[in-house]
Amino acid sequence: MLELKDLHAEVEGEGIEILKGVNLTVTKGEIHAIMGPNGSGKSTLAKVVAGHPEYEVTKGDILFNGESILELDPDERAHAGVFLAFQYPVEVPGVTNSTLLRESYNTIAASRGREEMDPLEFDDYIREKLELVEMNPDFLGRSVNAGFSGGEKKRNEIFQMAVLQPTLSLLDETDSGLDIDALKIVSEGINKLHGEDDAVVLITHYQRLLNYIIPDKVHVMIGGRIVKTGGKELAFELEERGYDWLESLATVNGEAK
Amino acid sequence: MAHPARIEPSIMHELASQVSDSRSNLWSEIRKNGLSVLNSSSFPTKKIEEWRFINLKPVSRSEFVPIEDAGTLPAIDIEKYFLPESDRSRLVFINGSYHEKYSSIGGLGKGVTVGNLADYADDQHVKEYLNKLVNYENDVFSAYNSYMFEDGAFIHLAKEAKAEAPIQILNLYTDSSKAFIANPRILVVAEEDSDVTIIEDHIGLGDNRYMTIPVSEVKVKQRAHIHHVRIQRDSIDAFHFSRPIAYVEKNSEYHSYTITLGGKITRNEPRVIQEAEEVDFTLDGLVLIDGDQVADTHSVMDHRFSFAESHQLHKVVVNGNAHSIFNGKIFVRRDAQKIDSFQENRNLLLSRDGLVNTKPQLEIFADDVLCSHGATIGQLDPEEVFYLQSRGMTEEKAKEVLTYAFALETIENVKVESVHKLLIQEVYRYTKANSKPKVMA
Ligand SMILES: Nc1ncnc2c1ncn2[C@@H]1O[C@H](COP(=O)(O)OP(=O)(O)OP(=O)(O)O)[C@@H](O)[C@H]1O
Ligand SMILES: [Mg+2]
Repeated sequence: MLELKDLHAEVEGEGIEILKGVNLTVTKGEIHAIMGPNGSGKSTLAKVVAGHPEYEVTKGDILFNGESILELDPDERAHAGVFLAFQYPVEVPGVTNSTLLRESYNTIAASRGREEMDPLEFDDYIREKLELVEMNPDFLGRSVNAGFSGGEKKRNEIFQMAVLQPTLSLLDETDSGLDIDALKIVSEGINKLHGEDDAVVLITHYQRLLNYIIPDKVHVMIGGRIVKTGGKELAFELEERGYDWLESLATVNGEAK
Repeated sequence: MAHPARIEPSIMHELASQVSDSRSNLWSEIRKNGLSVLNSSSFPTKKIEEWRFINLKPVSRSEFVPIEDAGTLPAIDIEKYFLPESDRSRLVFINGSYHEKYSSIGGLGKGVTVGNLADYADDQHVKEYLNKLVNYENDVFSAYNSYMFEDGAFIHLAKEAKAEAPIQILNLYTDSSKAFIANPRILVVAEEDSDVTIIEDHIGLGDNRYMTIPVSEVKVKQRAHIHHVRIQRDSIDAFHFSRPIAYVEKNSEYHSYTITLGGKITRNEPRVIQEAEEVDFTLDGLVLIDGDQVADTHSVMDHRFSFAESHQLHKVVVNGNAHSIFNGKIFVRRDAQKIDSFQENRNLLLSRDGLVNTKPQLEIFADDVLCSHGATIGQLDPEEVFYLQSRGMTEEKAKEVLTYAFALETIENVKVESVHKLLIQEVYRYTKANSKPKVMA
């Protein structure tokens, strides 16, 4: 589904390289977790896959379902099935959640040859998704993320994911900021949404999330590279030992790991 | 009427000679006043502080002719501009002249008088207030209007009268082969405890050049409420110089919303003067400009007594080579305490070649006041654009949605449904046309 090949990326126009050769393969039906210290490039990786114009890919490739998506605009990637739940969801004053969702759903539906829904159908559909993340319908009429609490923003991201039904979901620290109950609700939501035909990449700092959402693979990112990959037990090891013991791997010449 | 002496070459002086003799004493007197200002004031140039950002040469170099020589085309198909809510409360002016045929004024209920000013020359309220409220220092534009206007909208609300429908003052400007000048005039007197909504619309029917100088005088007496919406949809080659002034008495409310869409050069000078304690007023504005349009708002909110609440949100979207100017003066006089005044000018620049000059100006002589004011100039936030794109919207659509959202805030409070819808459409049309990146020559 997703294949990153020796992916190098830098801040557009500034020559600061952040991703220094990432290799990663995510197969349909899988859940992957990416962990790693602050500033190691996890969010950048997610944004680069989603097509953020701030970053320039200088080397390597991003294959999605076997085809390079480097030339695609962010919206085209979304149409293809990529979804990014932001570490810091953006506030968009004046644009209501329901406007955003209707616009998004319909453009994505149109691009995939799905039927657009009429407003009534869409309303029912939305409500069902709201229940999945136990969100109050009042949020629909509010401006996107404007004045939302940290946890509400994160929940809203997963709500959008539920509505848009992506095939590849990159969830950047969705667990940070959620209280214990919310974490459970949101995790269950993600589990319900995840199936045979899609893949989820979780970026997290906490092993706790992985108790709720069991990953097939855990990767450690340090210094812009994935330096180690393991099963879910790797997360426990990291919880125990931190990242120090892996730092040396990050500086090995050439390919990581 | 004598030809005004020329103290300076000014188009206003020259043009003023074209006036015919007046019918009533009141009009004669008003003309005399207008003339004396024209005689003693010169046409503004950039050398004058208040006019330093705006280039009026296109105005002073234009050749204007009397309306009868302008080769005006008839106004056709104008019913589409009639508001359904104002089916029986509509005044129609074409190039400044009242047209009874298109007007309809039967539906306002008891105590509401609406009609052409020229027909109310003997009315005591007209005598008392007409041309007495307008107060712009050495202003050739309002003086010219005073010297020239014949017709105008007159609205009077008796004590406790509530207008049953919004009153539409529809100003149409017809296509013409030569440029002309129109002088729309409005007088509104709202007695104690009355209530009225006024929709003032200026629409250019062609792409021709003309100049319009709307002057409106509004008196809001104790506990009266006025909701005043002003829509400027002039021709793309028009000049628009408007002077709306309102006086607010104790416990009254005056809320005005000005939407500027058309015109080549617009200079809007709204003023609200507080006449007693405990008032509440709004001077909001929305400006959507493109191409080489220039829109200049110079406003005054004059707090002269204690306990006032005032609000001014002036939002501007600039594209192309367009140029917006804002100067919002807030005066709080020495004895005016407990003033709660909000002013904000927010500018959204969609193009590299657009220009914004903004100057909020607080002049506070009292100590117990709460005045917040500010100005921002910004582009669309790239993070917001990316966020919406990541949700599947094209870049164009994302920009359109964000611009639309930016603009919408100012028209949310327009309470006449069809006008609210109309404005949403206008905003939508603008954002749709302007979301595509433009390459300027
Ligand atoms: N636009 C930018 N300009 C300059 N530096 C940037 C930019 N974007 C990211 N960086 C830098 O790249 C590095 C990686 O940032 P990134 O946000 O990807 O880290 P992260 O792994 O997600 O960290 P965290 O766990 O704290 O969220 C950081 O040092 C960051 O400061
Ligand atoms: Mg991060």
